[in-house]
Amino acid sequence: MTELVSLKGIVKHFPGVLANDNVDFTLRRGEIHALLGENGAGKTTLMNILYGLYRPDSGEIYIEGRRIEISSPRDAIKLGVGMVHQNFKLIPSHTILENIILGLKEVGFIINYKKISEEIRKLAESYGWRINPNAYVWQLTAGEKQQVELLKLLYRDARILILDEPTSVLTLQECRILFQALKRMAREGKGIIFITHKLDEVFAISDRVTVMRKGRVVITKETSKTDMSELAQYMVGRPVLFSIQKERTQPSGEAIIIKNLKAFNDKGVLALKGVDLVVKKNEIVGVIGVTGNGQQELVEVIAGLRKAAEGSILIDGINIANSSPDRIIELGVAYIPPEPLKYSIAPNLTIVDNLFMKAYRYKPYSNGILINWKKIYKKADELIKNFQIISPSLSTKAKSLSGGNLQRLILARELSGLIGDKIPKLIVAAYPTKGLDIGATEFVHKTLIEYSRKGSGILFISEDIEEALMISDRVAVMHDGRIVGIFKPGEVDMEKIGLMMAGVQVVPAI
Amino acid sequence: MAKTSRIPYNIKIQKRLYYSRKLSILTTFSAIIIAFGVAGLFFTIIGLNPLEVYSYIGGVFASPTLLLESFKRAIPIGLAALGLSIAFKMNFWNIGAEGQMYMGMLASTGIVLLHVYYGLIPDYLVLSLMILAAFLTGGLWCCLPAFLKAKMKVNEILTTLMMNYVAMYLVDFLIYGPWRDPKGYGFPLSVPFPEYSKLTVMFGEFAYGGLLLLCLTAVIVFIILRYTKLGFELKIVGENIEIARNAGINLSKVVTVGGFIAGGIAGIGGLTIVSGIIGRLRPRASPGYGYTAIIVVLLSALNPWLIIPVSIFFGGLFVAGDILQATLRIPGAAVEMYQALIFLFIVIGEFMKRYKITITRGVVE
Ligand SMILES: Nc1ncnc2c1ncn2[C@@H]1O[C@H](COP(=O)(O)OP(=O)(O)OP(=O)(O)O)[C@@H](O)[C@H]1O
Ligand SMILES: [Mg+2]
Repeated sequence: MTELVSLKGIVKHFPGVLANDNVDFTLRRGEIHALLGENGAGKTTLMNILYGLYRPDSGEIYIEGRRIEISSPRDAIKLGVGMVHQNFKLIPSHTILENIILGLKEVGFIINYKKISEEIRKLAESYGWRINPNAYVWQLTAGEKQQVELLKLLYRDARILILDEPTSVLTLQECRILFQALKRMAREGKGIIFITHKLDEVFAISDRVTVMRKGRVVITKETSKTDMSELAQYMVGRPVLFSIQKERTQPSGEAIIIKNLKAFNDKGVLALKGVDLVVKKNEIVGVIGVTGNGQQELVEVIAGLRKAAEGSILIDGINIANSSPDRIIELGVAYIPPEPLKYSIAPNLTIVDNLFMKAYRYKPYSNGILINWKKIYKKADELIKNFQIISPSLSTKAKSLSGGNLQRLILARELSGLIGDKIPKLIVAAYPTKGLDIGATEFVHKTLIEYSRKGSGILFISEDIEEALMISDRVAVMHDGRIVGIFKPGEVDMEKIGLMMAGVQVVPAI
Repeated sequence: MAKTSRIPYNIKIQKRLYYSRKLSILTTFSAIIIAFGVAGLFFTIIGLNPLEVYSYIGGVFASPTLLLESFKRAIPIGLAALGLSIAFKMNFWNIGAEGQMYMGMLASTGIVLLHVYYGLIPDYLVLSLMILAAFLTGGLWCCLPAFLKAKMKVNEILTTLMMNYVAMYLVDFLIYGPWRDPKGYGFPLSVPFPEYSKLTVMFGEFAYGGLLLLCLTAVIVFIILRYTKLGFELKIVGENIEIARNAGINLSKVVTVGGFIAGGIAGIGGLTIVSGIIGRLRPRASPGYGYTAIIVVLLSALNPWLIIPVSIFFGGLFVAGDILQATLRIPGAAVEMYQALIFLFIVIGEFMKRYKITITRGVVE
């Protein structure tokens, strides 16, 4: 049987890094192949080569046994290779239909919108998705955007689908829908490459798994013939703790008091309908819930990036609702945003610039007029080491960092107490482990716990119930713009949480 | 898949992942050379020998007196370009350097008139006050559109452009009206500036003092962009406004202050025209230096050091233009034309730098 894809001896250098070091990889027809590896292991690079975004320095690509050269995504698409990127590339101001036909040659000069629209709807339905081709992309949830990305590929008859960390933006429900669709595609004979950091997903969906480490393939194996701890060991090179023993600390005074907070979302709909929540010092409060129930709006209002329509947010007795972001930063609020790439990282600026994007204006890095670059570079070196950000140099542009390293960069900026070398009073962490490999996830958990021990209050937004239960002192369930229940991790009933997340009325046991 | 029997051409435009400095410089130079080539064609068509034209242009940079003249022209151009480099750094598309220069001329003339007519200011303070006034007025002229952009998202390209006309007509009005020299035989000219209000006081020759002023300003701009808080903020605002907002940067403050400094430097550029090149105010005192500055700053890729030689080059083109008009009777528009050509090719060059165009023949599988 000829393999659908076969990559042989792929080498790719970037200035200062060897991203792919003699990589061999195969994909079979009808197979879901998980690609696993630490942040910066070279997974995205390898796939970008197959998708024609990068040229390999050496190595050969075979598709269905034929040696080919892929010099652009256009070529790749013609060969049936499609990729959904780690960060979506849809145009928000266009409709789904427009996004799908954009760049499509076959439609010709005159576009038969009606026909295509019908075809797309049918295609979506065959995978169990309900989509209106005339909706605008900005109106879609992350899960729907991803469906559109996939439809775009399927509509172009892609037989080889590459998904780069597709689940990091999805809700559990959306994941389930995606997995069903992927399995169906595999049954139809397509080959699917599935990049992920989550080991349970590897076992839930893949037929084979390949682990990469520092640019090389460590192993390729049938998924059924391996287990979690073996894979983790291959990935990190050491045994990994899957759960952290958290000692409970005694919470002291309040870090933040949120009262009857209301706010609108981007579409002008009331997304926070009266949130009441307190986070104490030394305490981690996990907020769980299905994504899109107001979590994003909540953290944005706290960070000063969204207007509060009503209610108050007290920090040290000061109401920060509708204060400017810089004032809130100065009050000691660290903020790890839900979508870091959107507004939090400047891709064309260097790593140092991005690290010091907030701290540059405070002592000792600035005297009010001039910036002390020497101090900044010294501190940056330290941060890179502490947070294990892998990059050739401090003046590398942020856009050349791997997805996970970008997340580490944000963590370094927000958690290192750059401002005045104090620890943050409140850390608002929205999905801080998204896109991180297991080693780094462990590191984030430890860091958050350490800060809570030192006295920070932590508001931790998560989708992963187990993760939230593991590190939180209290867990709040959010549904439809409200906190519908608060629990202590010891005294919960998973079923009850599930019901609350789904919006079923349960008497909260506060 | 192409079904036709003929072999198709495939044109691909791809964004380049990297472009080297070498490539960048090479394209810019080719752009200039191609622009001269095309201009040469044009000269041939209107019946001139392009080689002769170019030998005149080249001659400007070979003759010491003409080179000195080019330096003089380079000073206002360079100053305006330095101002623009700050504005462009924060993605503030200031087309208004010309107007900001006119405001600088107006303010410095105002100070001279206060002194000459009313004797309000002692001799030794006149020049410093002129510089201050030119900076403030030019700054205000740019600050206003900057403020409107920051607060109300008013498009700066339109406002700065319109304010150019306001400034120019304001100068026209004053010089045809209240500021006309009573002993000037009715010509629309201000009184001649007294010696101590001219930039020649520094080294006896305006070009030297002016050049020093230009270099000093370049140093200041370099320091602002590289070593100050404001410079860092400008850079982030220029990258992306949302990112700046998230980082807690006070957008309206940065844009307004940045705009003020940008306009102020252009205002000083205006001062060098009246108090350096001409020695008095007259209508249309700038032959479009503020627009040329836009080309200069783009060519220099916002680098303050490069702005100096590039301004000298364009200063030379202005001098060459005058000479060509006088000797070969080439219409003045021709000068503007080859400037425009250079600009056009630079824009094309920039595109080529960022995108790779490949044309292949054959069926792509
Ligand atoms: N365009 C680029 N320019 C320079 N270096 C790059 C570029 N793209 C990737 N790299 C580097 O190559 C290495 C591999 O990156 P890659 O994005 O393939 O990692 P990854 O396995 O996808 O990691 P993650 O799980 O964090 O997404 C990293 O060290 C990264 O910094
Ligand atoms: Mg990646």
